[in-house]
Amino acid sequence: MTTRRRLIPYWLLAPGAIWLALFFVVPMYFMGELALRSGTFTEGFESAFQISNFSDALSGHTNQVVRSFVYAGTATLIALLIAYPLAYAIALRAGRWRLLLLFAVIAPFFTTYLIRTIAWKTILADDSPVVSVLQALQLVPEDGRVLATGGAVIAGLTYNFLPFMILPIYASLERMDTGLIEAGKDLYASSTQTFLRVTLPITAPGIVAGVLLTFIPAVGDYVNAEILGGTGTAMIGNVIQSLYLEQRNYPEAAALSFLMMLAILIVVLIYLRVAGSGAFMGDEDERRA
Amino acid sequence: MRTPRKSLRAVLALGALGAAITLTACGGGDTVGGASDNKAEVAEPGPPVDGEFNISTWVGYIDKGDGNTISKFEEEYPGTNVNYTEDVNDNSDFFGKVQPLLDEGESGGRSMFVVTDWMAKQMNDLGYLQEIDYADVPNVDANLKDSLRSPSFDPDRKFSIPWQSGMTGLLVNERLAPDVNSVNDLFDPKYKGKVTVLTEMRDTVPLLLKADGIDPEDATKQDWLDEIDRLQGAVDSGQLRRFTGNDYVQDLTNENVVAAIGWSGDIALIANDSVDWRMPTTGCIIWSDNMVIPVGAPNTAAALAWADFAYDPEIQAPISDYVRYVSPVEGIEKVNPALAKDPLVNPSDEFTADCSTQPNPPGSAEDVQEVTEAFQAVITQ
Repeated sequence: MTTRRRLIPYWLLAPGAIWLALFFVVPMYFMGELALRSGTFTEGFESAFQISNFSDALSGHTNQVVRSFVYAGTATLIALLIAYPLAYAIALRAGRWRLLLLFAVIAPFFTTYLIRTIAWKTILADDSPVVSVLQALQLVPEDGRVLATGGAVIAGLTYNFLPFMILPIYASLERMDTGLIEAGKDLYASSTQTFLRVTLPITAPGIVAGVLLTFIPAVGDYVNAEILGGTGTAMIGNVIQSLYLEQRNYPEAAALSFLMMLAILIVVLIYLRVAGSGAFMGDEDERRA
Repeated sequence: MRTPRKSLRAVLALGALGAAITLTACGGGDTVGGASDNKAEVAEPGPPVDGEFNISTWVGYIDKGDGNTISKFEEEYPGTNVNYTEDVNDNSDFFGKVQPLLDEGESGGRSMFVVTDWMAKQMNDLGYLQEIDYADVPNVDANLKDSLRSPSFDPDRKFSIPWQSGMTGLLVNERLAPDVNSVNDLFDPKYKGKVTVLTEMRDTVPLLLKADGIDPEDATKQDWLDEIDRLQGAVDSGQLRRFTGNDYVQDLTNENVVAAIGWSGDIALIANDSVDWRMPTTGCIIWSDNMVIPVGAPNTAAALAWADFAYDPEIQAPISDYVRYVSPVEGIEKVNPALAKDPLVNPSDEFTADCSTQPNPPGSAEDVQEVTEAFQAVITQ
């Protein structure tokens, strides 16, 4: 009986562990192995220990690496600024409209990612009303454009990943005990103080989760730059695509993919360090225990 | 709470072991890529011709609507189901997608691809294509235009049958860019941010070479690299808006772009009366897209039947009328006399006098790779 009970965690963990092994560890091994090969496509890529693939992959692509982080970071920031008030309104102010509004946030997902992105080509077309308004506000020069610029790519990224920011923040706001806000007010805190000292810290795990869910896929995104971008707006995903499919330099493509993962990992670790990993891992529960 | 943590480690170890076993089984040491030792087989003909027939091709390459060619084919061969997929937007891109399959002798369920001359050659050189016996495609044998019977890349037409031919030149909005007549005019600052060129290096660079008075046949590697530098300059100045495949159609239709390097028949896809295809003053690039049958292709019987079917002038004429590319089939003018007058479908020798056959970059495989990398570096700026 005891042995059996001791085995239970194994069985519970097994599906996840096998999944990870098959679909993460194994592909990572192959990618790492490919990244160290040498040769050309026509002659074949032989096993070698060619570390220089990594430096080759990075040299000449630093622009695109930096650009990917800038675009993704900007999109994440804008998404956060849009998502928090929206999630707040839905969770705490919407009343009986809450479900409908939540549905409205998720509704775009019923259309495919690609179609939604292509639709932005029409929204941001050179003579579209949106661009005319931006020109009237002098946000875009009179003869300027939005489509096929970095701005369009950031707009696309923000739009496409916005729900991933809204939902975790909504979840954390929704389960917050609103009595705490009243308690703050009872203690003579102003609305701003209550928000900064009560609401914001309590919803921090939602923000941290939202930022990660938005930023990580946005850095590696390839579709927005491909469809909404122009010349000089390629992100790292586009470079990897070109290396793999057009130039057929498989080792360098694999090396660049590896470096990209590493860079994202480092940025995320720094972020969690600053934001406090406890916020993400739910130290709330630990405190309770 | 020690036990769960220990179990976790044990399960992870188990997973790692599983992974190790999988890896040993797969063997990490083989060469990736490189020419395969596949021996060219001859595609197996019918009868019977039936079942699923999957074809990968370019957008805008067949007539649509009631009584279209696909439905006629399915009527002619009952029990056949044509899955016509327009998933080729760029030769290299498509090749990159299917190459790992072809290397294993698989075609991913596709019975036929439609790819440009140079790509057909590249696939054949790597042993990825099946040969075609002309006894199995009598219509092709009878009706293929003489000028297309022995191209340099496949002198006996062993592995390729042209689907359509075409010309690469200028797609121009006559109202917004009336004075774009030469490829050099694309670099006029007054069209800054309103012009695009193709991601197909073998279209874009040779057109630039011709505009600079260099015959692509005689061009050196340095000439190619110089033209790529010129593109780089146009990217830096913001002159070039994008690098495109067929996806320029939307930008030209809604006038985000006023002039582009483009393929002749795509004029049929652009729903804007102001846009027309223009022969550049320094001539165009001529190419064919070919039906090829890959190794491991299922239902080669249907593939051969399809090629033969399309070479019946009665069948070809409506295709030609719809797609407006240069038809490789003799005798369509007898079916539809109007086609004889369309310079895009039936260009006269005078019209194409200054045009060149689509070239490869000169030199060895390494030289070609160097030029390709330089071009890609500009695209993925």
